Amino acid sequence: MNFVANLLERFTDTLNPIVVKELRQAVKGKFFSVILMVFLGVLLLTIGLYLSSRTVEFSFNLGRDIFGVLLSILLSTCLLFVPAYTAIRLGSERSDANVDLLFITTLRPRSIIWGKFLAAVVLTVLLYSACLPFMTFTYLLRGVDLPSIFVLMALTFIVSVVAIQCAIFLGCIPANRFFRVILGVGWLIAVAVSIPTVSMMMYGPTGLLHSGIGGQMGTWQFWRIALSVLVGGIALISLLGLLSTALISPYSSNRALPVRVFVTGTWFLTGIAATIWSLASKNLTPVGVWVGAYVVVYSIGLFIAVSEREHLGKRVSLSIPRTRWLRPLAFLFYSGAAGGVLWSSLMTVLTLLTIVVLIERFPHMWMGQFYNDFLVVFIVIPLQAFAYALGASLIRRRVLANRIAGGYTCVIAIILLDVTTMIVPLVLFFITGTWEKEWLVGSPVAPILAVSGKEYHLAYSSLGISCLGALLTCVMSIPWFFRQIRNFQPPKQDTATPPRANEVG
Amino acid sequence: MLINVDHVKKYFGKTRAVDDISFSFSSGEIVGFVGPNGAGKTTTMRILATLDEPTSGDATIDGVSIVETPENARRLIGYVPDALPTHRDISVHDYLDFFARAYELPSTQREQVVESIEGFTNLTGIREKSLYALSKGMKQRVSLARALVHDPPVLVMDEPAAGLDPRARVELRELLRILSGQGKAILISSHILTELSEICDAAVIIEQGKIVASGNLQEIDSPSDAQSTIVIRPLNRQDELYKTMLIMPSVASVNRLGDEIEARISGAEETCCDLLENLIQSGYRIIEFKQRGSDLESVFMNVTKGVVQ
Repeated sequence: MNFVANLLERFTDTLNPIVVKELRQAVKGKFFSVILMVFLGVLLLTIGLYLSSRTVEFSFNLGRDIFGVLLSILLSTCLLFVPAYTAIRLGSERSDANVDLLFITTLRPRSIIWGKFLAAVVLTVLLYSACLPFMTFTYLLRGVDLPSIFVLMALTFIVSVVAIQCAIFLGCIPANRFFRVILGVGWLIAVAVSIPTVSMMMYGPTGLLHSGIGGQMGTWQFWRIALSVLVGGIALISLLGLLSTALISPYSSNRALPVRVFVTGTWFLTGIAATIWSLASKNLTPVGVWVGAYVVVYSIGLFIAVSEREHLGKRVSLSIPRTRWLRPLAFLFYSGAAGGVLWSSLMTVLTLLTIVVLIERFPHMWMGQFYNDFLVVFIVIPLQAFAYALGASLIRRRVLANRIAGGYTCVIAIILLDVTTMIVPLVLFFITGTWEKEWLVGSPVAPILAVSGKEYHLAYSSLGISCLGALLTCVMSIPWFFRQIRNFQPPKQDTATPPRANEVG
Repeated sequence: MLINVDHVKKYFGKTRAVDDISFSFSSGEIVGFVGPNGAGKTTTMRILATLDEPTSGDATIDGVSIVETPENARRLIGYVPDALPTHRDISVHDYLDFFARAYELPSTQREQVVESIEGFTNLTGIREKSLYALSKGMKQRVSLARALVHDPPVLVMDEPAAGLDPRARVELRELLRILSGQGKAILISSHILTELSEICDAAVIIEQGKIVASGNLQEIDSPSDAQSTIVIRPLNRQDELYKTMLIMPSVASVNRLGDEIEARISGAEETCCDLLENLIQSGYRIIEFKQRGSDLESVFMNVTKGVVQ
């Protein structure tokens, strides 16, 4: 008995303290208990209503119908309440000194995020466990097989877990009450769209449930999709987890390093996988999807990078490598605005070069005009992001230096983007009373509209203007880049004795 | 154990929140950290607690740098912030247990440590109560208990007495005295200077991010020479005594406070004895003759200008 008790005690030592705390709070609080009770009540009521209906005895699909409804209820609960509960708790703790208190323990920011995530996953598992007997019961009512039940529950579980990490990410964003309300409304809209979309994919007329999952489980097609969903889910959860960790990490820490290493690592691995897939299938689409996704990621990265600190603190400076050849690499990956802009730009260039090299080496995979259009769109987007990001940085430093902190540079960039995409075209529309696509030339929408409407003059005007904007802002920012590169040095080793402090007491 | 704050600066943009401050204190000492609002007290304390990074300078705790090795420094510091804990749906015991886990206390010790701290801070009776429902004084105790859970040798306390009723303040003072007796170094900020002057061995007075005075209260009050303030209550002849004292060479200044006469004496305690002897020999009948200790409030008012950044 003692051995078991000791073993249990040792096990509790290995548990993340945040998980223990969060679960204790969930058990002691009323919110989750009420949700669980209402959830079970609704499930029971749904089954009762279906079974009491007169059409039951004639239906061969009763089990499938009830399963679809129950899964929708489960999905709604898991997408709406568990993430909201987690995000609200995190957001409220983040708004006061509680998070500070966590930082002065030996807990790392990643343990805090990981703990919050695991605790929410445990709550989701609890809901799934409570639901499982009802789901299995539907098998007895005909129309659905057990593999379909378990596979669909697994898929919705992945969706729920991704939603939890999204909610944690939103809860970590440092925002005032107004912005939090906006984020909350945005979340509700996203959930409201997701629930019917996922439901249709699962058990709509053309969904997985109707096509029968049990029969497909022996095929490679099924496992390819299942593995893609699993790997994609894990990658998304990891990325959001790292971003959340960066958001709650102290300002003085090297927040960008893990995010940039992770994005570069997944870029490399998925790039290799996409290239192999393209070569095997003699089709550039997998590489095209990879290029499109990462160009967008790095374009967003440019907006985030310009909001980073320009002067490194002592803690980060102390970790700058003293080896000269390692320092440029560290400059790209360490927290810092100029380093971030260079990293995003370099990675975008490498991404675009990959598809160009593939087209050069394997011309038989070239799909003519489609890839020309594709390249125009995905060259214009990062160029515009570069111009807007650096333009915002210039405006903040030269005009608003005393009014807006560096962390809000991305807000200026978004405003600039909005002005060219929406405000200027709308103003011109109200003045002239006509609508011209050329007014959108400074917007990322322009190349997409141009290539879809085969208006190549607009596409090339957009490309030209984006090049000009990027070049101009780059030239004007050269001193800014050089200043940060020059300052990226490890601190000089101080051999002098520090001056004597005033002795107190 | 020596805590050394060495030329610490902290700038927020162009604002110099902390401007090159240096001081040190050691085990068993209680040091008051005093200054007007916006003087840089909380910023300095947050830097010491490793929550903020100094723009330049460093602080060391027994040689452990808070800039270079904050992870090691954290194990040596217990920090009590000015904000009280607000976690919902958690009991006092679970809250302390959580922090004990967060400081990696093994399960074999955890329960015992938490129980002993609950006993020390008088929380045993309310350990199962919800933290959210506690009064301010009780939350302050929980905050102190949380800071003690890993038995740190240094305590940094930001306004721990703010909003406490007189009884809670006295109890806090007693707890601090016990902790100081156990050898803990305590840096405490407060606006209630009378409280501080009763428990502090020394004080650091800060204004506009700079130290304007530091040392023990006597040193701060009379920085250049040994001066002391005495209060005399004669039975009668107050006016005559006042005039006599005005012409005495050892008396720097004299004030009349009703029936009492307050005088500032230049010289050591022997001068006070001589003065009393002279007065009695001159035929004055003295009911009370006392030396007034340095008062942090008056020291604070003397050395600060009340300028806000």
